[in-house]
Amino acid sequence: MESLFLQQIANGLIVGSIYCLIAIGLTMIFGVMNLSNFAHGDFSMLGAYFAIYTTAYLSGWFGWISSMFIAAIGVGIIGYFVERTMFRPLMKRPTDIDVIMLSIALFIILENGAQLIFGATPQMVVDPFQSASINLFLFQTSYIRIFSFVLAILIIIALQVFLTKTKVGVGIRAASQNSKASMLMGINVSFIYSLTFIIGSALAGLGGVLYGTIFAVYPTMGAMPTLKAFVITIMGGMGSIRGAIVGGIILGVAETLGGSYLSMQYKNSIGFIILILVLLTIPQGLFGRGKRHA
Amino acid sequence: MHSKVTKIILGTIGVVLLIAAPLVITDRYVQHIMVLSGVYVLLAVSWNLLTGFAGQLNLGHAAFFGIGAYASALISMHFHLSPWLGLLCGGLVASIFGGLLGIPSFRLSGPFLAITTIGFSEITRMVAMNWVGLTRGSLGLYGIPPLTPIKLGQGTSIEFTTEFSAYYVILALIFIIVYVVSTLHRSEFGLTVESLREDEMGAESIGINTSHYKLAVFMISAFIAGTAGAFYAHYERLISPNMLSTGVTFSIITMVMVGGIGTIWGPIIGAVVLTFLSEGLRFVEEAINLDIRMIIYGVVLALVILFMRQGLVGVLSGLGRFISRNPERQT
Repeated sequence: MESLFLQQIANGLIVGSIYCLIAIGLTMIFGVMNLSNFAHGDFSMLGAYFAIYTTAYLSGWFGWISSMFIAAIGVGIIGYFVERTMFRPLMKRPTDIDVIMLSIALFIILENGAQLIFGATPQMVVDPFQSASINLFLFQTSYIRIFSFVLAILIIIALQVFLTKTKVGVGIRAASQNSKASMLMGINVSFIYSLTFIIGSALAGLGGVLYGTIFAVYPTMGAMPTLKAFVITIMGGMGSIRGAIVGGIILGVAETLGGSYLSMQYKNSIGFIILILVLLTIPQGLFGRGKRHA
Repeated sequence: MHSKVTKIILGTIGVVLLIAAPLVITDRYVQHIMVLSGVYVLLAVSWNLLTGFAGQLNLGHAAFFGIGAYASALISMHFHLSPWLGLLCGGLVASIFGGLLGIPSFRLSGPFLAITTIGFSEITRMVAMNWVGLTRGSLGLYGIPPLTPIKLGQGTSIEFTTEFSAYYVILALIFIIVYVVSTLHRSEFGLTVESLREDEMGAESIGINTSHYKLAVFMISAFIAGTAGAFYAHYERLISPNMLSTGVTFSIITMVMVGGIGTIWGPIIGAVVLTFLSEGLRFVEEAINLDIRMIIYGVVLALVILFMRQGLVGVLSGLGRFISRNPERQT
């Protein structure tokens, strides 16, 4: 029993780290642009399909690593076009309902377009470890899961370094705090918006590759990560990266524990129950700044 | 005065046409689509009431539809209650859930409310899928009793098992509900509700208890959707958890946006146009063997939001103004 518990905690941490990647993208876009993208998880789906096609041509380690780069770049480019042509014209609309509904339209287009192009059959990104597993005394897991966990953490650290140590990164954080004031300070906010959307969608794409290597890739895989990313960002506080990291880990662990001890069928609704509890008790989230702004 | 007379004449012609329609169109398949579009009219009207008028973004509207359907079906199957009362029961049960979902809306708005409502509808769908003892899970409920015949004495009675008679039931429901909604819309209640959308803080500052109004709108909207669900259950006589899926909600949203959000006529026009359009697309899909229906929904929704915010109603009224302006200039 003890080892099952630890096993589930480990699985939860690994899944949680992938959730973190996807949720950080969502929370950055929300924090900087005040844009709630309900098609965010579908960028993960696109990233996963980029990886499927890359690994089909390039085999082994080289293929898998380059699929990460290709997914990030490919999804980033798609994100740029989406932001420029769809979301940017709506930034001046008085209500955020339009933006949300446009992102839903995007979600419908991407999901059904993927179904049309790639077919509905689930596929898997080729595991470079050939699904070898490792026994770590307390729990057993596969190499790829450990590797994904480490990789997710490395990406998050790299992002933090970028946001705190580089000029552009500081610009993003400034725009997130107050876009008008940062515009007056000479920051090109329009550029920051595009860049944030690109980084955010690229993170979703990277998360999608990891998700697709551990689980499966299919056209409708994006819907659940979108909802979970929202749950995570609301739990951690909208716009807070620290919140997204903590929220992602909490949700990942809560889901795997709930899935094994409570009910497998209701595993996916655990997030929503957490969501409702958070919204009723601490609506600004764990690390939110909602209270100060409201 | 003049415009009032034309309005009455146009209205009478419209009502006569609607009543005569199934007498002229006798094809049962087309009649079925007409009934289906009627169900969507109710759903679109109720979603528009909540999101278009009150500004409360609800992305879980299918939940009310499904709750109404399951409630009425289960009550009439287990307690042998008349399906006619089931229409009311479905609405009432959905309205209770609407009230529950309305409570978080006191403090939440925009994306927060949207994600809460999605969560609500996903949870209801999962319950309908997994509570096999009650709902038979993904197999769905079948053998739901149809609306019972109305006896006219002397052994004659009106049966409600055909598309033809169901059409008149849904038409009557639409007349009643659209009349109530448009009366509400013109009343002080309607103005107050719209103030929630325009400026919630401003409404609060002049002493409006926004929570009460939000709760009321959530409950009315859910009631209408629940009634539509109950009617659907007794009409199709087979319901499954699919009717609680977000896809249904997104179809409703597209209908309202295409017709014109925040208007009385928009959701009605949008629901009818898109139901028939999507049936037409079904034939195209069969011909080219590709599932393009939902993509077209998505593209249409995106284009409407980007370029035609007022929807078809906006286009039509613009056209109307253009036509009526020209003769004035000549005189």
